[in-house]
Amino acid sequence: MGDQAEGLTNNSSETNIESSGNQDELIMAQQRQIEKEISETIPLVGELEAITTLSSEYSTDEVYLSKIKDLVSKYSHIRRTRPDGNCFFRAFSYATLERLLGDKEEFIKFYKLAENSKSILVELGFQQFTVEDFYDTYMEVLKRLADIDNVEAAKKELHTIFNEQGYSDYMVVYLRLLTSAQLQKEQDFYSCFIEGNRTVADFCHQEVEPMYKDSDHIHIMAACSALNTGVRVSYMDRGTGTTVTQHDLPEGCIPTVHLLYRPTHYDILYV
Amino acid sequence: MPPETQYNLKSPGVKRLMREAIELANPTEEYYAAPLEDNLFEWHFTVRGPPETEFEGGYYHGRILLPVQYPMQPPNIILLTPNGRFEVNKKICLSISGYHPETWQPSWSIRTALLALIAFMPSKGAGTIGSLDYTPEERQILARKSISWECPTCGNVADKLLKAKASPTLTVEESSMLETIALKAEEDVNRKEAKSTEEPEGLRDNANKVEMQATPFTLPQNDANNGQNSSLRQRNIPNITLVQQDITNDILETSNERNKRDIFWIVVIYSEFVAF
Repeated sequence: MGDQAEGLTNNSSETNIESSGNQDELIMAQQRQIEKEISETIPLVGELEAITTLSSEYSTDEVYLSKIKDLVSKYSHIRRTRPDGNCFFRAFSYATLERLLGDKEEFIKFYKLAENSKSILVELGFQQFTVEDFYDTYMEVLKRLADIDNVEAAKKELHTIFNEQGYSDYMVVYLRLLTSAQLQKEQDFYSCFIEGNRTVADFCHQEVEPMYKDSDHIHIMAACSALNTGVRVSYMDRGTGTTVTQHDLPEGCIPTVHLLYRPTHYDILYV
Repeated sequence: MPPETQYNLKSPGVKRLMREAIELANPTEEYYAAPLEDNLFEWHFTVRGPPETEFEGGYYHGRILLPVQYPMQPPNIILLTPNGRFEVNKKICLSISGYHPETWQPSWSIRTALLALIAFMPSKGAGTIGSLDYTPEERQILARKSISWECPTCGNVADKLLKAKASPTLTVEESSMLETIALKAEEDVNRKEAKSTEEPEGLRDNANKVEMQATPFTLPQNDANNGQNSSLRQRNIPNITLVQQDITNDILETSNERNKRDIFWIVVIYSEFVAF
């Protein structure tokens, strides 16, 4: 940190004629470093908290407070996730599995879907042995959960797994890969959502597959299709209105996962 | 391979490296890499100079340092064999041109990194930090000399690869990745003595190296700024981004013991240089 700041100062004094672009990059790098340090103090996936705890974050913000009031009328609890750029994938994966633990039949269906997913990725040209590495860990986690009969004990295990950095990140990577595969499989459909001159494959390599890359609408749509799961996202920002805006993805689905979106971050909501 | 009991085998990162070690156990014509006997997070590699370039006939040896977060974070490559394209003893990490280093993908591997290194060797250094712009003739001389170069740990490196020559078989993803790859030199705070501006002279003038060996860790603090200037100058050059890495505190080498070993390494390497 210190070195970086120092480098920045010296740099600007010596080369103030040079383009400021590089300084922007350095500032951004520093910003990212600060964010990283803050985010690492937050658990990867937190404990269940009453939805009303949100109010304390915005005690003086009327817009947010009225929207929280709306949220409280719809949801009872929130589970926060670490804001590290992987929050959507982590939250979505966690919430999906958590729900499935209470529904054996659905869990078995999901397990079978996951079992068949590796070949799709290999066909798309991903390096077989690294895909296998993520796949094996993903299946190992599903198996560990399936082997626990008691639902509460299984949920506890899920929570433990998702807070172990290694396993948790592997779950994120695999969902990122599945999302990328979904986007590429249906690229005719998704290409119209991609800005700029990028192909769907480029977009996947740059915005979906790398870790710590934030998720957008398009990621969510593809992830939902990949896991065959409907999600309801409640958007809460400082925009006009006194209620949160809700979107179901895919449109018209019966959502089984509920997420709260505040600019650049997703948490899990519970009805 | 390092003794398995030393590591937490439940850690996906450790399992992954074990897997890669098995995957890469047999040398190919282009590359060979293996973990050190006592450290799964440090590997040594040898790559063949790409054919039809000034590196043809050369064998280039180096270290791969894996961050504890691997494969979530990219490996770092350090070349040890003088090659005229990259400075030796300086971290180079893989990136994608025009984007930030976090565009490394966990589905890439050490193999991908080595292929990228081979593919990137013939590209222009463009005077950026970590790069050397030696003439083709100088590089050819270094390529010939590299055949007898020896690593203090691995010995002669030229016979590590398979003899025959063939093009590497790439996956679709690897080919598309190699089209956009860039290498990024990294300034390691613990390794400032590997100073970019002294490297070429050092290669040609042994006396300089002897002096550096005597005081390896007292280089001026403004070293980092030189790097930033270079990368500022570099901004207008499209496609190739050789940018100095800002800070390395999230990279693996945090323990004093490792740093001490690095110091030892550097001294050994410079002795090699002198002998060379």
